[in-house]
Amino acid sequence: MRSLSIGATGMLAQQLNVETISNNIANATTTGFKRQRAEFQDLLYQNMRRVGSTSSDAGTVVPSGVQVGAGVRPSAVYRINEQGSVNPTENPLDIAIKGNGYFQIQLPSGETAYTRSGNFMVNAQGEVVTGNGYAVQPNIVVPAEAVDVTINASGEVLVKLQGQVTPANVGQIQLANFANPAGLEAVGDNLLMETPASGNPITANPGQPGFGSIMQYALENSNVNIVSEITNLITAQRAYEMNSKVIRSTDEMMQTVNQLR
Amino acid sequence: MENPIYISLSRQTALQRQMEMVANNIANMNTTAYKNQRMLFQEYVDRPAIGEKISLVQDYNTTRELREGPIQATNNPLDVALQGDGYFTVETMSGPRYTRAGHFRLNNDSELVDGNGLPVMGENDLRLQIPQNARTIDIKGDGTIIADNVQVGRIKVVRFEREQFMKETAGGLYVTDEQPLDAPDTKMAQGMLEQSNVQPVLEMTSMIEIMRQYQSNQKMMEAEHERQRTAISKLGRVSQA
Repeated sequence: MRSLSIGATGMLAQQLNVETISNNIANATTTGFKRQRAEFQDLLYQNMRRVGSTSSDAGTVVPSGVQVGAGVRPSAVYRINEQGSVNPTENPLDIAIKGNGYFQIQLPSGETAYTRSGNFMVNAQGEVVTGNGYAVQPNIVVPAEAVDVTINASGEVLVKLQGQVTPANVGQIQLANFANPAGLEAVGDNLLMETPASGNPITANPGQPGFGSIMQYALENSNVNIVSEITNLITAQRAYEMNSKVIRSTDEMMQTVNQLR
Repeated sequence: MENPIYISLSRQTALQRQMEMVANNIANMNTTAYKNQRMLFQEYVDRPAIGEKISLVQDYNTTRELREGPIQATNNPLDVALQGDGYFTVETMSGPRYTRAGHFRLNNDSELVDGNGLPVMGENDLRLQIPQNARTIDIKGDGTIIADNVQVGRIKVVRFEREQFMKETAGGLYVTDEQPLDAPDTKMAQGMLEQSNVQPVLEMTSMIEIMRQYQSNQKMMEAEHERQRTAISKLGRVSQA
């Protein structure tokens, strides 16, 4: 009875679906989070009677054979890189990207990670860093005597120093983009890593063709839509239940066989 | 003498396979563009002896319900749903395959590929390359891809005279020997995916039906078994007397 294992593949798939949805809901207020979606595919088919085979000496052809599938498998859990809504904040180093692109973050290991979450801070040396203290690339140092920091749409960081009329340019925020941003690997802490599937990063200043622009005093919200997540959760749970019913019915059929004397 | 058992057995074997099919439908109720499958049965007449005729059952055919599945919005610019009959063409090592699952993405060469990473064919069987720095990707109703206001190609949609002849392979792909035809009336919707057309309620009811039929066949086999046993013991007693 293959329907037992077919039902099991269905339950496993729905379990993954629920896990994906619960992660989306858990991250509904995570800055720069992109919601994910589980995508499924049918498994292999077994030919009981092959379609297109001849059914008589006269050459008549079976219009469609008997094909029984072996269940379902998850094919991908992919990020939907839709722009999240932008929330105004009071912090001058809260910056949001409007459009494509990722901030580049230097990890302690020396690798570069990418993020859409622009809630930056200044460390003891005046460097602009993430909440975990990882420096933003290219390095930007805000002098301690700065009275005001302005980041314009094209990513220039301008600081107003005490007693100076014109603001000084202390750095430039660069964005990285990928041919296939969905191919980036999430590593937690809002960070993404480059993979062979994502392609190589292309860096440019914000506002260049193909790149988004910068908004200061703003943070990008997650793009999770709670209502649609809850409805998806209901569908997934019911699908899970139905698959378990399949297993129970199969069990009863096998029980019937066992009662044969 | 054992023919009733064999008739029941033929039904039970067919029911088991039908159960597998229903299980597969339910397992795939959330699979993009999955088509519900049905099994057809036929009478198979056997003549085990002269003047005797027994009628067995055979599952001779699985058909796909070709009805369009409901469309769900995903807001992913590379998710494309087909409205109307037709298939996307993807390129594989062993020739073209056809699919209705429009969950596309870009590979690291910036080509449009399907969920399995197979290149999606454009017009004239060309792969569709999207400029690397494209800020916006628009897919029009006729499949024209416009990246930053520049037309980069058109997704090919084909249809077939005899869709039931198409054979399922894994991953939502179909294969056929038939020549593809143009499908000018089929529209594409960007940011949408076609859901499976499985109707869970119907599948649950047919599952219950299969189970009960299986049980009643079992009853019949038991009754036949009983009949044979009674016959043997009664006939045996007559010969002793």
